[in-house]
Amino acid sequence: MIDVTTPSLYLDGIPHRRFAELRETSGLVWHPYEDDGFWAVARHADVKAVSTAPEIFSSGVGHTNLWDLDADALEARRSIIDTDAPDHTRLRRLVSKVFTPRSIRRWEPLTRKIAAELLDEFVARGEGDWVELVAAPLPIRVILSILGVPVDDADFLVELSNHLVEGTSDRVSLPDDAYGNTTPLHLLPFGSPASHALYTYGEELGAQRRTGPRDDLVSALVQAEDEGDRLSHDEYRNLFHVLVFAGNETTRTALSHGAMALADHPDQWQRVLADHDLVDPAVEEVLRWATPVLHMRRTATCDTELAGTAIAAGDKVVMWYAGANRDPDAFAEPMRFDVGRADNPHVSFGGGGPHFCLGAFLARMEIAVVLDEMRRRGLRLERRGEPVRAPSNFVHGILSLDLGARTSGAP
Amino acid sequence: MSGADGPELVAVEVDSDVCIGVGQCELLEPAVFRVDDDDGMGVVIGSGQLAAERAAAVIEACPSGAIRIRAGDT
Repeated sequence: MIDVTTPSLYLDGIPHRRFAELRETSGLVWHPYEDDGFWAVARHADVKAVSTAPEIFSSGVGHTNLWDLDADALEARRSIIDTDAPDHTRLRRLVSKVFTPRSIRRWEPLTRKIAAELLDEFVARGEGDWVELVAAPLPIRVILSILGVPVDDADFLVELSNHLVEGTSDRVSLPDDAYGNTTPLHLLPFGSPASHALYTYGEELGAQRRTGPRDDLVSALVQAEDEGDRLSHDEYRNLFHVLVFAGNETTRTALSHGAMALADHPDQWQRVLADHDLVDPAVEEVLRWATPVLHMRRTATCDTELAGTAIAAGDKVVMWYAGANRDPDAFAEPMRFDVGRADNPHVSFGGGGPHFCLGAFLARMEIAVVLDEMRRRGLRLERRGEPVRAPSNFVHGILSLDLGARTSGAP
Repeated sequence: MSGADGPELVAVEVDSDVCIGVGQCELLEPAVFRVDDDDGMGVVIGSGQLAAERAAAVIEACPSGAIRIRAGDT
C-alpha cells in the first residue's frame, strides 16, 4: 500500500514520490486509516471535481480531518470549515466582505510597515530563524489587526497556534488541563487544550467589544450574534478560532517555504530582483510550492463515481492538495520552482467551490509585500542548514528555518 | 447583441445561492461587479453587460462558480 498519512513521513518534506504513485494508479486508491480508510484523491482534475461538488462531497456530514468524530464532538467543534450550505453561506457572508481584494488593499500599508520592520531586524542580525523573526510575526500581527485583537497578545496567540499544529501531529506536549481547560479534549478543535484557551480569549474579547464596539471584525461579529439569527454563540467562538489559526499559521507556512525556495533557487530570486512584474507570479509559485494545507476531507452523501471508481454514500474522500500541486497534467515541469510560471492553477486555496480559502487575497497581499520589501533591500537569503519540519500530514509546517541575509542595495 | 463596431456583448448575473463573496469578479471587472457591504456577496452593477470574452474569463475565475450568462440575453 502507498502510505501518505504517517506523520513522520513529513519530517523530510512532502513524500512526492508516493503522491506520484497515487496519481499514476488508475482510478482512486483506497487508503487504510485507523479502523477504516478513505479514497485518496491526488490528481489535480479530481481534486477540483470533489471540491466543486459540495452537494455530493459534503463538509458537514462528517469531519473535514481524516479521523471521525462522535456526534457531540462534531457539533461542538463545527466551524465554517465543517459546514454545508445554507449555514456555510450565512457564516461566510458575515465575514466575506472583510477579505475581498478591495478590503484587503486597506491593510497593505500596515503589512508593509510590519514587513519593513521585521526585514530590517533580520538584515541587521545577518542571520537567524526566519520563522521566528519574519514568517510567524507578520501574518499574526496583520490578522489580529483585522480582528481587532491587541497586537501585544500576538506572541501568546502564536504559542496557541503552535500547540494546535501539534494537535494535528502525533506529538502532543500539553497536559489536558493546560490553560485551565476542563472541557473533554474530544470536544475541542484538534483535541487540544489550546483550543479552550483560544475560545476563552475570543469570548473575553467579544464581551469587551460588545460594551465598547470598535471598527474591527470582532465588533462586527458580536453585533451579528446579538441580532439573533445570523450567528450563534458557538458559531462566533468557532469562527474566531478559525480566523486566528487559519489566518496566521497558513501564511507563516507559505512565507517559510517561500524563503527556503528562494534561498535554494538563487537564479529564480535573481529574476524577481531584476523584474518587478515577476512579483505576482512568484507569489503564486510560492503558494504552489508551499501547499500550506496538505489535504482536506469530504464525505460522500450518496453513491457516486470519480475517476472511474465507485464511491459509496458515507465513504471518506480526501483531496490531497500536496499531490494536485505537482500533477504533470496541470503544471509544466511540476517539480521545478519557476517564478515566471505563466499558467499556475494551484490548489493551495482549495480546488474551488464554497470553501475556497477566505484569506486567499490576504495571503497573496502579505506574500507580495514581503517579496517586494526584500527586493527593495536587495536581500538575498542563504541556507544555514536544514529546516525543522512539523510531523503533520495536515499542515505543511516549518517550525524553524535558519537563514543568512546578504544585501546588495536596492535593485 | 453584437454591434457592428464593438465586440459581442453578453449580460451576466450572480447566483445568490452560490456566491460566497470572494470578490474575484470585482477585482477583474470593477465596473460590472461589486461585493455588497451589507450582504457580503457579489452583485451586478447596472446592466451587467460586458464583452463575451471577458465574461468567459470572469466566469472561469470565480472560485465558487457563481457567475453565469443571463438567460435570454445571449
